[in-house]
Order: sequence, then structure tokens, then C-alpha cells
Amino acid sequence: MIIKNILISGSSRGLGKELAKHFLKEGWKVYGCARSEGQIKHDNYHHFQLDISSQEQVTEFFFTLRKQIKHLDAVVNNAGIASMNAFALTPAKVFQKIFAINVQGTFLFCQKALGLLKKAPNPRIINMTTVAVPLKLEGESIYAASKSAVETLTQIIAKEYGGFGITCNAIGPSPIETNLIKGVPKEKIAKLIKQQSIPKMATPNDIINLVDFFIRPESHMITGQIIYLGGIAK
Amino acid sequence: MNITKLQEIIFNAIAMTNNIREDDKQIPQQIDTELYGNNGHLDSMGLVAFLIDIEESLLDEGIQVTLSDERAMSQSKSPFRNVESLINYIDELIKEVT
Repeated sequence: MIIKNILISGSSRGLGKELAKHFLKEGWKVYGCARSEGQIKHDNYHHFQLDISSQEQVTEFFFTLRKQIKHLDAVVNNAGIASMNAFALTPAKVFQKIFAINVQGTFLFCQKALGLLKKAPNPRIINMTTVAVPLKLEGESIYAASKSAVETLTQIIAKEYGGFGITCNAIGPSPIETNLIKGVPKEKIAKLIKQQSIPKMATPNDIINLVDFFIRPESHMITGQIIYLGGIAK
Repeated sequence: MNITKLQEIIFNAIAMTNNIREDDKQIPQQIDTELYGNNGHLDSMGLVAFLIDIEESLLDEGIQVTLSDERAMSQSKSPFRNVESLINYIDELIKEVT
């Protein structure tokens, strides 16, 4: 059996950690990264500490990764940050930080992974967006704008690299219990959930299910798609 | 890395590209083969795939260079116009990083 390799950013906690654990259970080799130390102890889990918004660190990371593996079956760009603030009160530094991690980080990972992905039989890129984009959530202008950029990046990568057999899709989770939403007031989450066709909190398993779907070899014709959970449409 | 090895890497990348091209669209493995531009065999996406293959082969040799950076794009004569110009360009890049 050929062992499959998956790269997951932001794998030290929350959804990224759950995704890593899932793929380890499925027998994959998981290459995880985060700014903090890895929490998973497993023979097939390899953790790298880096800042994904740093071009130098990402380049060095892929050079190191390239020495360990000859192909990548999938990349999940899960790492991201959010910040709640009224547009008028958002400092430029916050704007820069959010775009550096959410947009530039995703851009760098997609770009640097192309060579390794190109050698896989069914290469996949999965990016993370948010329901804040279609719902135009107040107080999330910069976060939502950064994820709009990720969505456009996803769709253009899908067009440019479909010829290589690489599919590129994005998942927009509805609220799930992770650190990303811990700063969001409970009333706001409740109001948001009410807008969903399926009005309940999602779980990491709901996202894992969608990641599995995109990764299946049978999903080779599915690319450039943005899927939001909970029945939210753009 | 010597020029002969670089030429071998580029010819291997041409062979990989030829694998997915029609019989009448094969790219000759020759030093004067036009790659990209007016009489080039590659379109822009073909060039991207070709350069990725070369970068991967260079990484196999422990050499990390970015072939399609701003400098390459801003040169009045594209380093990607033929095999010879590409070899010279990569040779320059390698000398800079080593």
C-alpha cells in the first residue's frame, strides 16, 4: 500500500489538530505546522514550527519537507486568524497581520506545494474560508475580506492547475467550537446560527467529512468550489 | 553543478513534457530548441509546468532556486527563449546561491 502524504497548516489545535488526527487514523503521513509546538505524538505525524506569513520560513520549510517526501497528495490550508472590530476602528496593523496570515500564508503554501502536488496521482488543495463572506457579517470586514481573497485565489488556482490534475476547493465552516470564535459574543453566534438552513453548531467532523469528499479520487471533477456548511449560500 | 548536468536536467524535463504531448507536438531535446516566445514550443502554462519540473529536479540535487522570479520576467531577452539561454540563466542563479 502506498502511504499518502498530507500537509495541514495550523495543526497544533482546533480543527487542524482534529484533521491531523483523522488522517493519521486513516493511515496517512501527516505533515503539520503551526507557530506553536505540535501536540500530537504519533509515528506518522511530523510537526514543523513556523510562521506561515514569512516567505523565508515557508521557503525553508518546503526545502526541508522536500528532503523528506517526494510527493504530496493533499494540502489543507487551515491556519488562519480572525479579528472582530468595527471597520472604522480597525488598526492598519491588524489588517496587515490578517492578510499576511490568511492570504499570503495560503498563497505561499499553495505556490510552494505545486511541485510536490504535481507528482501525486490525485493532488488536492483545500483552503478555508468563512460564512462571514456570504453573510457580510458586521464587525468582520477585514477577516471576511481576507477570506474573499482566499476564495478568489482558490478559484483561479483551480483554473490554472486543473491541467495538472490538481483540484482546489474551499470550505466555509459555519460556527464550530474552536479558538477562532472564542472571542465572539454568544448572542452573535446564536444570531448567526439562526440564519442557517440547518440552525445548529457544526462539529469538526462536519468539516472532516467535506475534506474527505474533496480528497476522494472520485472527486477529480470537483474544483473551484466554495462550500459553506449549514446551508448558507452566496 | 556543471553545464552537462544542467542540460541533462532540462532534457529530462522536456522528456516529461513530451510524455503528455501529441506525437506531432514533441519538443526536440536539443540545445537550440526554442522554448518560449514567438517560435517557442511552450505556451505560458506549459512553461510553468516545465519550470516546476526543473525546480523539482534541482531540489533533488539539493539546490533551491526560483526560476520564474521578477528578474527573469524583466529581462529584455527572456531566459526561457531556448534551452541554451535557460541553461545559462540557471547556471547564474546557482552560482549566486552557492
